[in-house]
Amino acid sequence: MDSKPSAPEPTFKIKKTGKRFLGLSLDDFVRSFFGGNALVSVIVLALITVFLFREGFGFFGQNQQNLSTYRQAGLEYVDYMKRQVDDHTALKRYLSDLRVRQFTKLKTEQGLEIREVNAALSSFDDFAWDFSETVNPLRNMVSDLTETASAIKTKFLISEDKKTERKQLLQEGQKEAAARVQQIEVDFDTEIQPILATLPSYREINTTFAQEIVSVLPRAPQMPDAALQERMDRFVAMARAYTATFPAIEKEMATWDPHEEVALSSSFSAFIFGRDWLTASFWQDWYGIIPLAIGSLMVSVVALVLAVPLGIGAAIYVNQVASDAEKKLIKPCIEFISAIPSVVLGFFGIAVLGQALRLLSQQPWAEFIPGFPFSERLNILTAGCLLALIAVPTIFTLAEDAINNVPRPFKEASMALGASRLQTIIRIIVPASLSGIISAVLLGFGRVIGETMVVLLCAGNRIEIPDFTAGLGVVTQPVHTMTGIIAQEMGEVVHGSIHYRALFVVGIVLFFLALIINYLAQKIVRRYRISIG
Amino acid sequence: MKKLLLIAAVALTAVSLQAQKLVIKGSDTLGAKLVPMLAEEYRAMYPGVSFEIAAEGSTTGIAAIIDGTADIGMASRAAKSTEISAAQAKGVSMTETIVCFDGIAVILNSNSPLAGLSERQVQQIFTGDVTDWSAVGGNPGTISVYTRNTSSGTYSDFKKLAMNKRDYAPSSQKMAGNEQIVSEVAKNPNGIGYVGLAYVKAEGIKVASIDGALPTKESVVAKAYPYARPTFYYTNGEPTGEAAKFIDFTHSKKGQEIAAKVGFVPVK
Repeated sequence: MDSKPSAPEPTFKIKKTGKRFLGLSLDDFVRSFFGGNALVSVIVLALITVFLFREGFGFFGQNQQNLSTYRQAGLEYVDYMKRQVDDHTALKRYLSDLRVRQFTKLKTEQGLEIREVNAALSSFDDFAWDFSETVNPLRNMVSDLTETASAIKTKFLISEDKKTERKQLLQEGQKEAAARVQQIEVDFDTEIQPILATLPSYREINTTFAQEIVSVLPRAPQMPDAALQERMDRFVAMARAYTATFPAIEKEMATWDPHEEVALSSSFSAFIFGRDWLTASFWQDWYGIIPLAIGSLMVSVVALVLAVPLGIGAAIYVNQVASDAEKKLIKPCIEFISAIPSVVLGFFGIAVLGQALRLLSQQPWAEFIPGFPFSERLNILTAGCLLALIAVPTIFTLAEDAINNVPRPFKEASMALGASRLQTIIRIIVPASLSGIISAVLLGFGRVIGETMVVLLCAGNRIEIPDFTAGLGVVTQPVHTMTGIIAQEMGEVVHGSIHYRALFVVGIVLFFLALIINYLAQKIVRRYRISIG
Repeated sequence: MKKLLLIAAVALTAVSLQAQKLVIKGSDTLGAKLVPMLAEEYRAMYPGVSFEIAAEGSTTGIAAIIDGTADIGMASRAAKSTEISAAQAKGVSMTETIVCFDGIAVILNSNSPLAGLSERQVQQIFTGDVTDWSAVGGNPGTISVYTRNTSSGTYSDFKKLAMNKRDYAPSSQKMAGNEQIVSEVAKNPNGIGYVGLAYVKAEGIKVASIDGALPTKESVVAKAYPYARPTFYYTNGEPTGEAAKFIDFTHSKKGQEIAAKVGFVPVK
């Protein structure tokens, strides 16, 4: 634009200068427009990241407070007894499972009427009743102590609320109103004395409890066949083992110390390794990401198991085998799938796929498949099948690019040496493009794990670690996912509360997962661009 | 002369429009759907009245009566003793009128052999103490428990009303709304869930009686059905003027029909 000062003034035939506005030409405007856009997107991304971390980071402090209240108010102490009662309930469930097995056996094999079956099982029922009655004294004690501990915790939370109220008023400069807010001081040491004082009577209850169980067990009825008898023997052994744990529980309770500090690191590990995500509880909230993370991973794995062969197979076929007419049909079709909104896929999953899969699972000839038959139509399998649809276009497009990038001489040389087309594909083309294919799979994985709508609608939303003892059948169980829980709960939580921040931390975990996956994908492509050659 | 009369009439209407503004504040259980619908019907009958409805929670409704900033306060819980004493201190006598009952129905698949459950069984099922239908008298099969999601008000209310404040079983599935619970229970013979009363007429499900009582008008009023709570209007002293007319309209046949339509149990 500006001529160099040293050069002599050139003479041009056209004297017209470009139109300038505020000293800028059109080119400058276009340049600054694009540059500005790039800058804005970088700034927005940075702001989102900062926001995510700022909102999420307070969680660990709040969770530390949450856990230390759990300890100081004696909830932890009462939970020792609660677990003991829960274990007893689990044993009772084992007994009722045994009853179901006997029931079906008597009804189907011996063809008895329901009334006759119930009569035949009356001695079993008496035994089960006696066994379930043994826990009552302990259960009553737990329910009393639950109330006491809850009351202490509530009192403490109210006092915390009052403190915040006063702080808020002071911030607004309303000193008089702040002074009028009544402050309650909660002294945990004196408050939990009534709970700790129950230890001797707990010991007494425990002793009689153990004695009663032991005295009930020999009355276990004889089972009609060996398999059931084995289960009954197992029950008796488990019940004895259960009573044997009592002294250890007593000892733990006796040495329990409400003053023990809750470290920040334990708040961190309670989140990363926590096996419960339990919110809006009247007792104690837990924020453990494990059940959600496992849910997300299981759904993604199922999706990839289905999508990887489909996506890569289609890519190889389209690039190496298909005629031009086929290419023109297949490519747009696969790419079109990614144009379907995921909420539509989700509806399809609820209304059609889930229902169809459940019907299929209940066919007698399909029983050999692990996990079949199942009764929950919203489960890992349904969500995984739909997510596979979402992952296929990503994997297909990227893998096809990778295969396309294999230099043509590779193929020609292979053909010239007399290799067949199949041999060329398997021995030359695929190995040469392997790095690209792997990164395609990784990016497909990233696409799937971040998907929200489909898993929210179709994964079943059960916040529990699936039962892996079912083997491959585990895929027919419902799960909840990291993305799903954010979508489901974010709308209604109190702004700034621990629950709100916990959801943000889940978001941060997802953020890091995406970051790692993308990093790995790029790294693999760069490092092993052409692995042979 | 005619013209003059017309002007006078218009002026009168304008004056009455100014005067007849009914301020209603409080519970979002009532204020979300029922009271706005009642207000609409009421305005169709008396076009001169205008409404200001704010649904921000029962506490705000009771506070508004104490401060005199509302004609009617809506509440989904009874006023606490501290609130009544605070009102008295300000010379306000809180008068409560039951609007209707808000009930939660426990629903089963229509193929379930069970007709009803006991309160204890409901608690056992939703807390996960019992996981097989045979333990409560049904056909053997693993129970599938469907609940609302954790941030819903009904989720907590049901814990208070039916589960002795215990936590839901970890195996329960959290559904986005009433419709989704209905559709899952309707398709799953081993399903159980709970929904607002407006949703119980769907196909494929049936309402379980609790200790023999179905959530009907009679059983709820007689307190035989446990999973229901009354909802209230609060006023300063006996309601007068437009507020009294609106409360009467709420209790009229038409008003109670609207209440039943949006899923409440009518009282009259």
